[in-house]
Amino acid sequence: MRVLVVEDEKKTASFVRKALQAEGFAVDVCHNGDDALAAARATPFDGIVLDIMLPGRDGLSVLRQLRERKNVTPVLLLSARGEVNERVEGLDAGADDYLPKPFELVELVARVRALTRRGGETKSTTLRVADLTLDTLTRQAQRGEKKIELTAREYRLLEFLMRSAGRLCGRMMILEKVWDYDFDPGTNLVDVYVRRLREKIDADFEPKLLHTVRGAGYVLKEQP
Amino acid sequence: MTIRTRLTLWYAGILTASLLVIGYGTYREIDEQLRHDHRREPTERAIGETSEMVFQVGLPAVLLGLLGGWWLTRRALAPVKNLTDAATKIHERNLRDPLPRTRNGDELDQLTKVFNDTLARLDDSFKRIHEFTLHASHELKTPLTVMCGEAEIASRDESLPTAERERAISQLDELRRLARIVDGLTLLAKADAGQIALAMEPVRLDELVRDNFADTQILAEPQGVQVELAACEKITVRGDRHRLRQLLLNLADNAVKYNQPQGKVTMSLRCDGNFAEFKIANTGTGIPLEILPRVFDRFFRGDPAHSQTVDGCGLGLSIAQWIVSAHNGTIQIESATAKPTTVTVRLPLEEPAREKA
Repeated sequence: MRVLVVEDEKKTASFVRKALQAEGFAVDVCHNGDDALAAARATPFDGIVLDIMLPGRDGLSVLRQLRERKNVTPVLLLSARGEVNERVEGLDAGADDYLPKPFELVELVARVRALTRRGGETKSTTLRVADLTLDTLTRQAQRGEKKIELTAREYRLLEFLMRSAGRLCGRMMILEKVWDYDFDPGTNLVDVYVRRLREKIDADFEPKLLHTVRGAGYVLKEQP
Repeated sequence: MTIRTRLTLWYAGILTASLLVIGYGTYREIDEQLRHDHRREPTERAIGETSEMVFQVGLPAVLLGLLGGWWLTRRALAPVKNLTDAATKIHERNLRDPLPRTRNGDELDQLTKVFNDTLARLDDSFKRIHEFTLHASHELKTPLTVMCGEAEIASRDESLPTAERERAISQLDELRRLARIVDGLTLLAKADAGQIALAMEPVRLDELVRDNFADTQILAEPQGVQVELAACEKITVRGDRHRLRQLLLNLADNAVKYNQPQGKVTMSLRCDGNFAEFKIANTGTGIPLEILPRVFDRFFRGDPAHSQTVDGCGLGLSIAQWIVSAHNGTIQIESATAKPTTVTVRLPLEEPAREKA
């Protein structure tokens, strides 16, 4: 998978590249809009991470130009302004996703992964991690032989974690996907819900599946 | 006493005084003549007639004078009243609307002009402060992004010693808190500048409240705080779903945070006339009366010691207040030391006519 990162701020570009490379992406970096257009023309990328505020030609203009040229490479917009109107404007211009700064790297990586994998998601109705299963039709969770009762919110949380099994899920990402919050409420809502969920799916069982990654978020996987 | 009343009374006083002087003059004149004529008998009658005449003519004259005076001063002071009415409506947000001028060049028109110029200068200063906050919060985001990113990478860098990774994690926590503050500040700065467009639609407020109630129960559990939903009537308002959820969560989070262990939080949603009324009360330590009006101020904290233990960005209630006013509602807080604190939010109901359309 090859990804283009367009970001004029060198340090940001540098750690975004590091984080994506750590996830196994090949990463190219451009620092302005014109270079980005040239690079996108020369190389077929699997995804583009595009900052809106660029010197000269800005990100939205690059995006429109790309779409005019019938380039359908998935684009993730980054913005320091981060407002609802801008999100809408970006998506209207043909972006596939939008992330306001400052973002969590975990989240950026997860979004790029989702962007480049689109369509490939498992459509199976039963999710499974070790002996934990979740039937998305009946909304029934089961660990081993034991059926587990979940509230609506716990179900959505578990479903999200199981669909991203093995991958790190940041708090903001969980808030957005499970609660549909587009703001950081500054509460420990996620942590408290994860604790409850852990009591239900992990407390009486081995091995433990739901792990905390300090300072980053949570991951559901068999091995710690 | 208003200038108008005062002037009218003065006017009436002068009128009465002059009438008395005229009356006295007439009386003396008649008396003199009669004395001269040596006809003492009918004197009393003549005097009686005279005073009656003065009375009959004088009283209506005084009344007319009073009315005339009232009308005159009213006319003279009408521009002042208009000015006062217009000035009462002035606040931070409508400084750009100047007071209406008569443009007839009189003293009051001059006063209005000076007043308008002052307003314009004030508006300018406010605008500059808003712009400054907006730019500052944008400018802060880039370095914050860099610091967060680097700390995040360091926190997961296996090649670093554990102590250093721990430090990165603790830094990351503080950086995220800073990021939340900057986010809140940006939101408020944009709101001040009128740059936020709300996605207004009919919203079932009772559903949001129920949802929020479930989350609040979970939030309150670690502190042993009990949460109760006393009433939840089916209510539709016109609003921005995300912002209303943010509002409810902000209030609920505050009610839980500033509570005593094993305390209680009570919420209710009721219909009150044309308004939806959401109340949330907690059994906290109460807020002293003197600081109550300031709790909606940005970064205001009642108890500085508390800010060390309670995590938050200090903008929650300011944001809540903005969300409510953006929905044409009102927010009130009632409290007293050692009494429950109640926050009441009133939002206008969705108009039935629009609902049908």
